[in-house]
Order: sequence, then structure tokens, then C-alpha cells
Amino acid sequence: MQGALSTATWFWLFVPMLSVLALSIATWLLKK
Amino acid sequence: MTSGTFVAFAIYLIGMLAIGLICYRLTKNLSDYILGGRGLRPGVAALSAGASDMSGWLLLGLPGAVYASGMNQIWIGIGLVIGAYLNWQFVAKRLRIYTEVAKDSITIPDYLENRFDDRSRILRIISAAVILLFFTFYVSSGLVAGGVLFEETFDLSYMWALWIGMLVIVGYTFLGGFLAVSWTDFVQGILMFLALIVVPIIAITELGGWDQVTDTVGQIDASYNGVMTDMTFMGIVSLMAWGLGYFGQPHILARFMAVRSPSDVPTARLINMGWMIFGLYGAIFVGYSGIAFFADNPLQNSETVFIEFVQVLFHPWVSGFLLAAILAAIMSTIDSQLLVCSSALTEDLYKAFLRKDASQKELVQVSRFAVIGIALLATVLAMDKDSKVLDLVSYAWAGFGAAFGPIVILSLFWRGLTRNGAAVGILVGAVTVVVWKQLSGGLLDLYEIVPGFILCALAAVAVSLMQGRPAQSVLDDYDRTQRAVKTGRIEPSE
Repeated sequence: MQGALSTATWFWLFVPMLSVLALSIATWLLKK
Repeated sequence: MTSGTFVAFAIYLIGMLAIGLICYRLTKNLSDYILGGRGLRPGVAALSAGASDMSGWLLLGLPGAVYASGMNQIWIGIGLVIGAYLNWQFVAKRLRIYTEVAKDSITIPDYLENRFDDRSRILRIISAAVILLFFTFYVSSGLVAGGVLFEETFDLSYMWALWIGMLVIVGYTFLGGFLAVSWTDFVQGILMFLALIVVPIIAITELGGWDQVTDTVGQIDASYNGVMTDMTFMGIVSLMAWGLGYFGQPHILARFMAVRSPSDVPTARLINMGWMIFGLYGAIFVGYSGIAFFADNPLQNSETVFIEFVQVLFHPWVSGFLLAAILAAIMSTIDSQLLVCSSALTEDLYKAFLRKDASQKELVQVSRFAVIGIALLATVLAMDKDSKVLDLVSYAWAGFGAAFGPIVILSLFWRGLTRNGAAVGILVGAVTVVVWKQLSGGLLDLYEIVPGFILCALAAVAVSLMQGRPAQSVLDDYDRTQRAVKTGRIEPSE
């Protein structure tokens, strides 16, 4: 999946936005 | 334009008008027309907030920027996602409750006046004037972007594209108000989402898979693969600071105020964030895979990368619907801004100052004609696509964010915020944005929303502290809101 992307690029591309998605799922589950 | 594209566009536009007609029957009073009677389901609130927020930038601007520069463009996406999430997490539910507690306010100027029990009406006048000024130009520049796109891509006359697009938007907004705007946004949001998922998947598959794409891009120019290419720390802060704008955008805050129940907010938040995050990934991957796909024949205009992919990879009948997603992105932003302008004219100026006792029927009629009036003004302004006056729009996102954002947040979380604090904060935020934008060099190159946001908040706090304790009725409403946030139940006013 990382392909020719550097670790830094891979990290900034996926970690921040997917963390926010995970947070949205977590807060939704807690309120259910 | 191929016949497939033409038919797809026609079906799409007729569908939008049909939604307007259905919603016409459901609109009985001004609250229905401006806020859908506060009955939006979480899915509709979520997608309509997303589609109103994301203009043609999502399908044209962002893929174009990634195609031209590579992965260093992701910072703005990260900033927007964080800002949108914080807005949903901290503002949405409280604003939904507080606007109901504060005399059932149906617009942001209405809320500001009622939140501070502002008898001078200065908050209402300032905020309604700012909304009318900036959103008229926002609508106008959205129309120009749509018109130019159709002129360049489909060889359609600019004027024809402008007037047909406007006619359809006005048609459904005039008829069905907020409900029509939200439901069309919902459909438009789905269309945008599907297009942004399907196009990059097919493109990456066609290129031989993700690893193949990154390899090819790296061979063309390794700097495309770097997130830090040509980036300074201040440049990254400036791009991420776009996310600060969310707290003050009236057309997005209106979706929070309209959601059916405060308890629907977590579901709406999840749907909105899912839509936005996958949509942004789609847009980024369209631009990124475009670098590899069009390597032998580079595009003259990078912003057409999505359009070129659609035309090369899909059958004309499918591509018509995928291209309609661009129309959807542009229209779903314009319609929401148009309606916020109409609400400022009707609720905040006409009803507040001219006809206090106007009947609901009269107010809905005034709103409808306000939609036509503003749309005509915006279209006339858009007829000269090179007009310098349209440059005003470049102030809008930062202007709303810096002028209203801190005030909205403080009004929801700080008991001590006063009317004067809010008014001075709005003015300081707006003036800072305008002045900072004229300056350049060193720290002054920072995106103006950052100093505007900070100075607005500081001014609001300082003036409020100097002024002392707000009136008891204001404090009572604040406390009632806090209790409702905890219990989920709004107590009736005494």
C-alpha cells in the first residue's frame, strides 16, 4: 500500500484524516 | 457535448426541480422556508452540510492542485477535516439547543440578537449586512466558475450556462426553500460522493494498482510524492487554518440549527465526516493518479483532471452522470448561500425593521421574492466574468470564519460574553482579515483567518470583561441551555 511514498507522506496522508474518522465512530458508538 | 451527457444533465436538472415542487407542498411558514421547521433527519443534515460546504473546489480545484503539485496539497484537507469535526463536536448540538432557547431564533443574526437580548439591534444589523454583502458575491463567483467550466469544457455559451443554471437553482429554492435546498443537497451530495469514489478506483485500476501509480509518479518526478515539497512551516499552518473557517459559516451553521433533535447530532456528525473524508481522499487520488495517467500528454488546465478522466474512462451515458456531479457541487453551495441571503433580508431586515406583525404567509412570499432578487443581482454581477468586484469573494471564507467563528464559540461556552464584546469582536475580526490581506512579507503572509480569529476572540473577551456581568435574563437562557445540553431536554421558558 505504501508503494513509492515515503513514510512521512504515507503518515500525513492517512493518519490524521482516518483518526478523525475513528474518533467520529467512537463518539457515535458512545452516544448510542 | 455528447447526447449521453446532455440527457444525463437534463435528467439531473429535472430531478432537482421535482424535489422543489414536492417541498413546496411541505412549506407552510417562515421557519419551514428558512429552517425546514427544524425537522432535518441526521442523514440529510449531514450530507446537506457537506454539499453546501464543498463547492466545485472538491471536484475541480483540489484534484487540479494535486495534479499540478502532488501530495504537498493534502494539508488543506487535513485542516478542513479537523475544523469540520470540531465544529460538529462542539458547536452543532449546543447551537441547535441555544437557538431554540433564545426565542426560537431561525438565523445567525436572529440568534446573536436574542442570545444577548440586544435591544439596540446592532448585532442583527452588522451580521445581516456582512452576510448579504459576502454571500451575494459568493453566489456570483460560484456562477462564474460554473459558467466558465461549461464554456471551456462543453463549448456551451457562457451566458446560456449561467442563465440555465440560475433558473434551475432559483426554481427549486423559490418553491421549496430550506427543505428543497437540503433535499437537493442530499441528492447532490450522494452524486458527488459516488463520482469521487468511482473515478479514482477505476483510474487506479486502469493504471495497474496503487503501487504502480506511486512508482510511476515517483519516476516522473519524485517531488510529487513529498508532503513537504516547497512547503514552509507557515505555509502548512496557513493551509490547515482553512479549517478555522467552519465555526463562522452561516450556511453550514444553519444545518446544525435545523437538525431534528440534538440527539441526532452524533449520527449526523459521523455521516458528515465519513462523506467528507472519503470525498477528500477521492479528490486527492483523482489528481494524484492523473499525474501518472496523463504523463505523456499533460493537461493544459490542471483543474480539468476529473473531467478528462471521466471522458476517457467511462461510457458517455455513465460519464454524463459523473459530470453532473460537478454541477451538483456548484449548485449545492450556491442554493444554500442564496437562501441564507434571503433569510437575512426577510427575517433580519424586513420582519425586524419594516413589518413586525407580518403574517407567515407574507413572510414566506417576501423570502421567495428575495431569492429571485438576490439571484438576479448575482447573475447580473456574474455576466462580466472578469469583474474586479468579484475579487471580494476571496475575503468571504476568512471573513466569516474570523468575524463570526469566535463569537459563535464564545456565545456557546462562555457565560460572561456581552453584547458589546460580541459586536466589537465581529468588527475586529472582519477588519483584521481585510487589512491583513493587503499586507505581505514574513509573518504577514500567514493566512488572514489566523490573526483575525485570534484578535476577534481577544477583543470579545477584553470588552466583555470590562463591561461586567450580562443581564440576568441572558444568564438564565445560558444556564437553561447548559442544562439542556446535559439532559437533552429543553425546559420551557418562565
